[in-house]
Amino acid sequence: MEVNDISFSYTGEQNQLQQISTNIQHGKITTIIGPNGSGKSTFLQLLSRNLTYNTGQILLNGKEINQYVAKEFAKMIAVVHQQNIAPDDMTVEKLIEYGRLPYRKAFQSRQKDDQDIIEWALSATKLTDKRNKHLAELSGGERQRVWIAMALAQDTPFLFLDEPTTYLDMYHQIEILELVKELNEKHQQTIIMVLHDLNQAITYSDYLMVMKQGKKIKEGKPIDIMTSEIIEEVYGVKAKVKKDEDHPLYIVPIGIGKEW
Amino acid sequence: MKKKILSFVGVTLLLCLVMVISTMTGSINVTFLELIQGLVTGTNEEVAVIRDLRLPRVIISVVAGSALAVSGALLQAVMRNPLADAGIIGISSGAGFTSILAVSFFPALYFWSPLFAFIGGAVACLLVYSLSWKSGLSPVRLILVGVAINAVFSGLSDTFNYRGSYTVTSVSPTTTSTLAMRTWTDVEIMVTFGLTGLIAALLLYRSCNFLALQDKTVQNLGVSVVRTRLLISTVAVLLAAVSTAVAGLIAFIGLLVPHISRLLVGSDHKVLLPFTALTGALILLLADTLGRTIIAPNEIPASIIMSIIGGPFLIFLLRRSDKVSGS
Repeated sequence: MEVNDISFSYTGEQNQLQQISTNIQHGKITTIIGPNGSGKSTFLQLLSRNLTYNTGQILLNGKEINQYVAKEFAKMIAVVHQQNIAPDDMTVEKLIEYGRLPYRKAFQSRQKDDQDIIEWALSATKLTDKRNKHLAELSGGERQRVWIAMALAQDTPFLFLDEPTTYLDMYHQIEILELVKELNEKHQQTIIMVLHDLNQAITYSDYLMVMKQGKKIKEGKPIDIMTSEIIEEVYGVKAKVKKDEDHPLYIVPIGIGKEW
Repeated sequence: MKKKILSFVGVTLLLCLVMVISTMTGSINVTFLELIQGLVTGTNEEVAVIRDLRLPRVIISVVAGSALAVSGALLQAVMRNPLADAGIIGISSGAGFTSILAVSFFPALYFWSPLFAFIGGAVACLLVYSLSWKSGLSPVRLILVGVAINAVFSGLSDTFNYRGSYTVTSVSPTTTSTLAMRTWTDVEIMVTFGLTGLIAALLLYRSCNFLALQDKTVQNLGVSVVRTRLLISTVAVLLAAVSTAVAGLIAFIGLLVPHISRLLVGSDHKVLLPFTALTGALILLLADTLGRTIIAPNEIPASIIMSIIGGPFLIFLLRRSDKVSGS
């Protein structure tokens, strides 16, 4: 996936995103990090066609993403949004089945391969025994897994996740990230996600893209780009970047910078 | 599951019961046996009167009740808003206005009056939509804009009825509904257009379900949100327009019935829409039957009864809508 020089603004006046170019590595996990309002989510929305960029182009397999028919695009890219809404009395399986929509013709009902993929999505997200539960009966972590399962049912080579761990406690955050890693390793899904926690981003990503005020500041492997200087420049936070035998890289924040 | 089946059976039985009772009672009373005999043989004069005058009214109440209730359910799905109702937000009065225009200028096209009504309803719907849309529809703003649109169209209709005459009837057919003096021609119109709309609505249950998710989620699944909205709105306006053209303006059915139905059978439109249709038929028929028997020989129009029940209900929903609008 190739991003060439895209800019975007909501109002037409001030650019929320300015001339971003990057090349998303297929089969890898890329995480976008940056402070609030840096344009991380906006960038993800542009990649998934929920917003339309003003200038530049985004190519998916050599074809500009706007050129794809909606259903074809939905077979390429699945998105889990930060906040998701569904009726409380909907069952887990029903919601996951929506992931099969791009493959359905009008009025067609569930087919054999739909069933197989739904089963796989249920088991990959450990929801098989919760399939008949209503969404209202689930915990926050389970509900997030249901949305991921719906995205899995779309059976796409790309999976985008917008802050998948927000609102979850530590256990469930790690649970989600482990799931993401597994999907990437076992099923070669290309993952692009937005995360807030730098240590999680370092641990679970092959590549990082650092954003600030609508611009790309830096990108590359965590070990190459994560330095105290960049953290202070982007977040205004003083932090120590450490390494030891067990941990290739981790960050300890120690205070707020003088000037930001 | 059990609750759903029970609800369906209950409502269907009640509807049949009320239909029979409604046909039997009124200024002429007959027994059930006389009614059936009379309808089959055609020899009983009293039953003949009932067939010509009361039966059309019963059938129209049933179909119009279904149509209005389903129209409300569709609008609520499209606008993702629990307070949408064709009568409250001005769609019905828009429909009423164009329908009365058409009937006055082209009386020969009486059968097609629902289609003229559709034009007015569609204009009103479009206006409400575009004026209250601000990156989403807030329930309260929708109601406010709807009330204004409603006022404009009812005003236009009243102006048209008034025409400087002193002999204005106190009950104008476009702002209230009496359902009295309906003929078999009206039944034909109501059933033709009403059933078309109802069948179309039932076929759209999947699309209605998608819209319960967020727009971006639906888009990511490869479904065009705009096209889905347009399709469902069209059917909703058609249903409201037919009812208004034939039965007059009746508000609140489309608000009350889907809400009660959701409590009983849940929010899956596959079940919700048929149930709403049945319940809508039952409620309007009940309102009309009560209206014409309770202080006979005088009548209270069904629409007035609906307003008396519906008004407080709207307040109740508005008070809850702070919670609802967030989801």
